[in-house]
Amino acid sequence: MLQKTIDWLDERVDLSEIRHFVAEKGVPVHTQKVWYYLGGMTLFLFGVQVATGILLLLYYRPSAAEAYESVQFIVTKVEFGWLIRNIHSWSANLLIALAFAHFFSVFLLKSYRKPRELTWLSGILLLFLMLGFGFSGYLLPWNELSFFATKVGTGSAGAVPVVGHFMLRLLRGGDDVTGATLSRFYGLHVAILPAMATALVAGHLLLVQRQGMSVPLSVEKKLKPGETLPQMPFFPNYIMRDVLAWYVLLAILAALAAFYPWELGSKADPFAVVPPGIRPEWYFLAVFYTLKLIPSHIMGFEGEQLGVVAFGIVAMVLVVVPFLDRKALKGERSPAFTVLAVLGLVYLVTFTIIGQYAK
Amino acid sequence: MSFIESDRGDRRGRRRDVYRSQLRVLSELCGCFFSVLFFVTPAAAQSAPAANSCLTCHTTQQDARLATPAALFAQQDVHRERGFACVDCHGGNPAATVKAQAHDAAKGYKGKPAGSQVIAACARCHSDAELMRRYAPKQRVDQAAEYATSTHGKRLASGDTNVATCASCHGAHGIRLVSDAKSPVFPTSVATTCASCHADATRMAGYKLPDGSPLPTHQLADYQTSVHYNALTKGNDLSAPTCNDCHGNHGAVPPGVGAIANVCGSCHAVFAEKFATSVHKQIFDKGCVECHSNHGVQRPSDAMLGVTGKGICQPCHTAEDKGDKGAAAAETMRTQFEQLKTAIEQSHALIARVKNAGIEVSDQELALREANTKLTLARTEMHAFEPALVAPIIKEGTTIVAGVDAAGQKGMGELKFRRGGLAISLGAILIVVVALALKVRHIDQRHRI
Repeated sequence: MLQKTIDWLDERVDLSEIRHFVAEKGVPVHTQKVWYYLGGMTLFLFGVQVATGILLLLYYRPSAAEAYESVQFIVTKVEFGWLIRNIHSWSANLLIALAFAHFFSVFLLKSYRKPRELTWLSGILLLFLMLGFGFSGYLLPWNELSFFATKVGTGSAGAVPVVGHFMLRLLRGGDDVTGATLSRFYGLHVAILPAMATALVAGHLLLVQRQGMSVPLSVEKKLKPGETLPQMPFFPNYIMRDVLAWYVLLAILAALAAFYPWELGSKADPFAVVPPGIRPEWYFLAVFYTLKLIPSHIMGFEGEQLGVVAFGIVAMVLVVVPFLDRKALKGERSPAFTVLAVLGLVYLVTFTIIGQYAK
Repeated sequence: MSFIESDRGDRRGRRRDVYRSQLRVLSELCGCFFSVLFFVTPAAAQSAPAANSCLTCHTTQQDARLATPAALFAQQDVHRERGFACVDCHGGNPAATVKAQAHDAAKGYKGKPAGSQVIAACARCHSDAELMRRYAPKQRVDQAAEYATSTHGKRLASGDTNVATCASCHGAHGIRLVSDAKSPVFPTSVATTCASCHADATRMAGYKLPDGSPLPTHQLADYQTSVHYNALTKGNDLSAPTCNDCHGNHGAVPPGVGAIANVCGSCHAVFAEKFATSVHKQIFDKGCVECHSNHGVQRPSDAMLGVTGKGICQPCHTAEDKGDKGAAAAETMRTQFEQLKTAIEQSHALIARVKNAGIEVSDQELALREANTKLTLARTEMHAFEPALVAPIIKEGTTIVAGVDAAGQKGMGELKFRRGGLAISLGAILIVVVALALKVRHIDQRHRI
């Protein structure tokens, strides 16, 4: 049946190029090939998010009066609504965790070096987009925790010099977090960010397919002149391994959804007193805690402003890492960037843990 | 400045008085002019600082008895802030710089008022509705009349100057508004203000209760153990009762027999209403106090109801007397309370388990709150001491709990279903994973990887 369909299509649109690509595409085999799976696993979770997100859209109502009740309806009245919502929430968190793991593996293996600068660029932008998805999606259930965490988060945007107040009003749709903010975040979460992410994912995948997998410098250095790495066929050897990893992820997601259901909390009340221990989602904790540690004033400047500017600079530096790492560009080891990546990883892990338990 | 009574001094003083009176006339004329110009009210015009030699001299006195009142009055005092001066209570001539003229009886100098003079001095303004309307239009003007009906007032009239007068509670100088948290009659301070006399065994010696027993001095100590004191000081509930809420303030008397239920009922209206229909209404001389005490009112508990253990029905009713209808009624109601209480607790635990599993139970939580309300209603109804009135309310509560339990069991079933479904899904996934792993191994061997 499948063969007949392919033949039918082949007669109408020439599939020889694709057939050739599938037959020829290989994945280098070496000791560090395990890191290759992270990208595919992130992509799988992105697919899960799209699928569960569409299902949630069928019942979700994006207004301050109805958002909380609609999510409550989904988890209590809709058949398997609890499962869809729990998978969406857990998958979002796993997706960001895997995106960070993918980012650090690429950084440490220097896979961004020529000719993969654009792949890195699209990947970094995708990581920022995933964080944007997390930030905007967190508010949508309109519960107490998400409401106040969004207030704190958007408040930090207000600390950006010169354009801070404009950004704060742009994000909130006013001076405070209200139903207008919810509408904006909803639009961002289900239309703007998905459109951008789809385009970037497509571009990212296209680049990966066109350029093939990057071989780590350490592996490349060990090769004798003229020697090439053995290749594993992408279809079916590699893709089956990918599918295997996706199934494992699916099992983890199902177990998390059933044993650790995502709490809905109580409905947001803008007039309520800010509950103690308000903190953002774990992936913003390191930044949040750092901003909290910065003194209110440093050399006449506002501490929070300086912190936000510093994080902005770090983000911009990350974008242009392939162009800064001259040694990697020449195919040489660049320990300075390795140290930077390790320090960044240690900082993120440490501050996230401290931020979680800090009073 | 000191008072030196010499002719020269008197002459100089008189000259100064003449100059000052001329200046005063001039300034009053200017004042009138500006009042007319800017429509300044007479009351506001009064607030202009007048010459006050009382403060000038008294604040420099070495004797604290003379200096302290002036110092207190010069700091924060509601009367000074509204334009009143020493002369308004003490009389005399504040313009004079010589003691003899300042303390001239012909100028109305009264010195330090004592006993009934204090009441008269305060009442001169505070019982004057027309005057008070200009300063505090909402304030009552019958304090002096009320005071006359109080135990304090009656004893003062009979010549006992040991009793409290206005200044004993409000202070004489440095008087603050009752709403000022630093005032000695602010709700949180009333008990200690009353206790400054009533906890003083020496001062209270000789005073007796209507039954002839000595007036106790442990009211404050008792009150500080009470639920009312706790609510007032720890719960910051300024509406919680303190001494004057039950005894009255200016007309303070101990609530008499038959009036206690009315006093408690001014806050606990529903309890008083139920109690009024009970058989105990006729029997209890001290009404609510018979079971709940007066100054040391403790948080009531279900254990109080009954003739066993901590039950307080025991002195009158006994478990041994099988024909005691009161004992049987108390035990019946107590059993009903305990049954509903236990059912609510068990239901709470079930719902918490279901909620922890991620199943929405807000309707059930609301229903349990309703069941708790029924329990409270039943406890209120109990004050009529009629089990037949309590039973229907308990039944309503039990029905609600039964509904919640059914929903809880359904939730547990749903949880079981989810876990079962998950186990099957995980099994299926595991089979696929193993199959894929075998397939990968197989094709790897084929490709010699």
